[in-house]
Order: sequence, then C-alpha cells, then structure tokens
Amino acid sequence: MVAQQIVNGLMLGAIYMLVAVAFTLAIGVLNFLNFSLPGLFMAGGMLAFGLMKAGWPFLLAAAGALAAAAFISLLVERFAYRPMQGGDPEVPLVSSLGFLVLLENLMLVQFGSDQQAFPALLPDLNLRLGGLVIGYAQLASLLLSLGLVAVLSFVLAKTAAGRRIRTVAESRETALLMGIDIARLVPQLFVASAALAALAGILFAVNYQQVSPFMGEGVGFKGVAAMIVGGMGSIWGAVLGGLLIGLAEVVSISFIGADVVNITVYGLLLLILIVRPQGLMGRAPSREKL
Amino acid sequence: MALLEVSALSVSYGRVAALTDVSLRVQEGEIVTVLGANGAGKSTLLKAILGAVPVKGGGIAFADTDLTRAAPHKRMGAGLVLVPEGRRILISLTVEENLLLGAHMRRDTAAIRREMDAIYGRFSNLAERRHMLASCLSGGEQQMLAIGRAMMAKPRLMMLDEPSLGLSPLFVEKLFDLICELNRDGLSVLLVEQNTGKALKVAHAATVLELGRVTMDGDPKALAADPRLQDAYLGGAGGH
Repeated sequence: MVAQQIVNGLMLGAIYMLVAVAFTLAIGVLNFLNFSLPGLFMAGGMLAFGLMKAGWPFLLAAAGALAAAAFISLLVERFAYRPMQGGDPEVPLVSSLGFLVLLENLMLVQFGSDQQAFPALLPDLNLRLGGLVIGYAQLASLLLSLGLVAVLSFVLAKTAAGRRIRTVAESRETALLMGIDIARLVPQLFVASAALAALAGILFAVNYQQVSPFMGEGVGFKGVAAMIVGGMGSIWGAVLGGLLIGLAEVVSISFIGADVVNITVYGLLLLILIVRPQGLMGRAPSREKL
Repeated sequence: MALLEVSALSVSYGRVAALTDVSLRVQEGEIVTVLGANGAGKSTLLKAILGAVPVKGGGIAFADTDLTRAAPHKRMGAGLVLVPEGRRILISLTVEENLLLGAHMRRDTAAIRREMDAIYGRFSNLAERRHMLASCLSGGEQQMLAIGRAMMAKPRLMMLDEPSLGLSPLFVEKLFDLICELNRDGLSVLLVEQNTGKALKVAHAATVLELGRVTMDGDPKALAADPRLQDAYLGGAGGH
C-alpha cells in the first residue's frame, strides 16, 4: 500500500518536475518568474484534447499542441518580456500573469468551463509488479520526463550552447561582449520552457484523463513550490522538489485525507524556506533574484 | 587597405556625446594604442568597434567589410575580438569553460582542443586549475585567462581594454611580453592603456583621445617626446 502510494506520488511528481524545470530555466537564466507557464501547461493539455476531438491521432495532436505552446511563448516573450527590459522585474511578472488569464479565458470560450474527459490511450494496460500496479502510460511519462531533464542538464553542462546560456545567466553584458547572440538565445529559452510546460500538460491529460481551462493553476503553483523547495535556478533541484511535492501530495491524500493536501504541500514549502532558504540544491544567494 | 578602418565615428549616451568624429586605422600586423585620461571615451571606442554600443555617425570597416551596423557576434565571427575592461571572467564557469566560451562560435573541435592545449602550455597556472571555478584565480591569472579566452576566438584583431589595470609590476611585464609575442606571431592589436609609457614602447602607432575627440596621433616615438603628452600622461618634467 505504501509502496503503491510512493509509485503514484512519483508519477504525479514527474509532472510537477517538468513544470518546475520550466520555471527554473526562466528564472535562472532570464531572472523572470514567468507566470504564463501554467497557462502553457493548460494549453498543452487542452489543445491536445481539442485536436484529438477534431479527429487528429494522439501523436499529431500532441505535436500540434507543443507547437502552439511554443508559438504562444514567443508572443509572451515579444509582448510581456522584451518591452520591459531594463525596468522593474515585477512588470513582466504581472504581464505574464495577464497571459495566463487570457489563455484560460480563450480556452473557456472555446471549450466551456467544465472538466472534459481526455480519451484513454492505453486502456487498462498495466504493469503488475508484486502487489504494485503501474500504468504503462504513467511509466512512459515518468521515463520521458526524467530523460528530457537529463538531456537538458547535459546540454547546459557540456555543450557550447549550455556555456552560452550560463554566461547569459551570470551576466548579460559580458555575454554581449563575448559575441553571444542574446536576441536569438532568449526566444529559444522561451520555446524550451514552453515545450516543457506544455508537455507536462499533455502528460497530465494522458495520465489523469481529464482537462479543464483551469488545470494550470493548481499544478503551476505546485511547480513554483517545487522549484523553490529544490532551489531556484537548479535543474536537479527542480527534479527533487517536483518528486518530493508529488510524494507529499499523494501520501497525505491517502493517509490523512484530501482536505489537507495544500497544508502538507505548502507546509513543506514553508518548512524548507525556514530551514534552508536557498532550497535543497540551491546555492546561497549570490545575486539578486526576484 | 587597413585591417580596421574607423572613420569619423560618433557615439552618444543619451544627449551626452561620448565620441565625436573619431578616425583610426590599424594595419595588418600592427599594434595600435589608444591613450587618454579616464572618461576620454577609450572603452566606448572599443565597444563601438565591437558593436556593443550603437553608433550615431561614421563608419567601421574591418577586413574590407563594412560592419557599422553588424551585430557583435557577426563582428566576432569576422575576427574582431575584445578582452574587456575588468577582464569579465565568468566566475560561475570553470577555467576551461571560460576558454571554451571564447570558441563558442567555432565548430572545429580538434583545432579548439589543440589551441587550448597550447594556451595551457603557455600559462601553466591555468592548466593546473582548469577544472576549478575561475573565481579562484588571482587578478593576473584572470587577465591571462581573459586573453586566452580571446585567443580561442581566433582573432585577427585583438582589442584589449586596460589590460594592465590592477596587476602587479611583474604581471604587467609578462602581459606586455605576451602582447608583443602574439603580435610577432601575426596578431594585430588595438590596445587601450593607462600605462602610457609601456604602451608607446610596444606600439607601431598611437592615438590620443580627449573628451571623445582625437587630439594627437601618429608615430609613438614622436608622441612620447611631445611635451603635451609628457605633461598629461607621462609625468614629464614640465608639470603644472
């Protein structure tokens, strides 16, 4: 029973992890708490749902949803982030929140406010291991998420593109003097974090077989919590934070009750902030963050 | 034609003119030095040549190509590389990652590896600390790293902004030896310096900036003997 809950918690945690990595990429490199990401998470799930309803096969619908999310993220960059450069960091935060509200209401107009059933892709196909039941779809999404994060981490640590990104994260001015094409790199980062968030939304829809225009809010805030628990700007911190929050949520639902979920999750966040303010894997603050 | 041709360049920060009608050329294989007091516009000149600040008027041509409106990464791709003021080492990157950052636009992995080994051969302090964060280096070592990083970009013209600033006399000697050595190997150099005496000794041509305008230029030996320059920068006998 406990083992089963741990498995379920890790599956949910994988979703939070992707969202947390998307947040941490934006805040670590661009110093931007991008609140359109929960909207892109929701857009991923909702658009995949809408395209499948229009008759597209799943993989094509997922690709379409990812492409749409990437495009929306470029709009966020163009209209919420770029014009505010050099000003207060709070301004793009608020305008990105505006994008979240806009996206939610566009979906509401298109699909209505009700929760919709997302079709089961692999109906009742489960892996049974001893007493454990693991859905293949869930297992696949956990492995896909971890694989993606590992690739991202490798790119950041070992490639020329990763060194460029880390240079921009440390100092934009130095990056400019080193001949880094910041005007191209920033939109690429927006596309990358949007793809992670939208993929998380698609995986959420597949695993829990439900979508709604407001599915991004709860998951988005838990993604932010996961990022802070793990340490802002740290990829593996976001992984750890995401999995921990997922575990805390599932375990407290099954042993205490659904009413206390937010108390456990945000209690964990509060505890970490008191004991280790920089997060589990974060470095002590060396420069001002939001 | 000269390797670098700056003609009647003007740059303003807001309404404040930082450079007015500055002209300068660097021939292939030369060391050209730009002298002047603090705030004379020397750093702005190098940044404008690199494209990091917008120009208001005039032109910049490098290797027979007009680069006046080109982005910095285009200019670096053409071989125009800056060793910035204050070195600007990336302290969250290791020594080796800083060197590799210099080569971030290149794809020739084998040559990059070879050149990095050559730099390690030249600067054994960097080789010993290659996997440590660059923040652990001394000021002199950081300057060597900044120059090494610029070399990794395969420069045709290396621009150095106050490289001797804050270095011990021993490192200043090493630095000027290194600049001369790189120049003998064929590298053209545009050197901004406050150490006027040393800069005039190694340069083939010199330009003096005052409040964003060229007030003197020409042969460094003649400039070194010029009483006006003696008074202003060489602590000459004249005094005021």
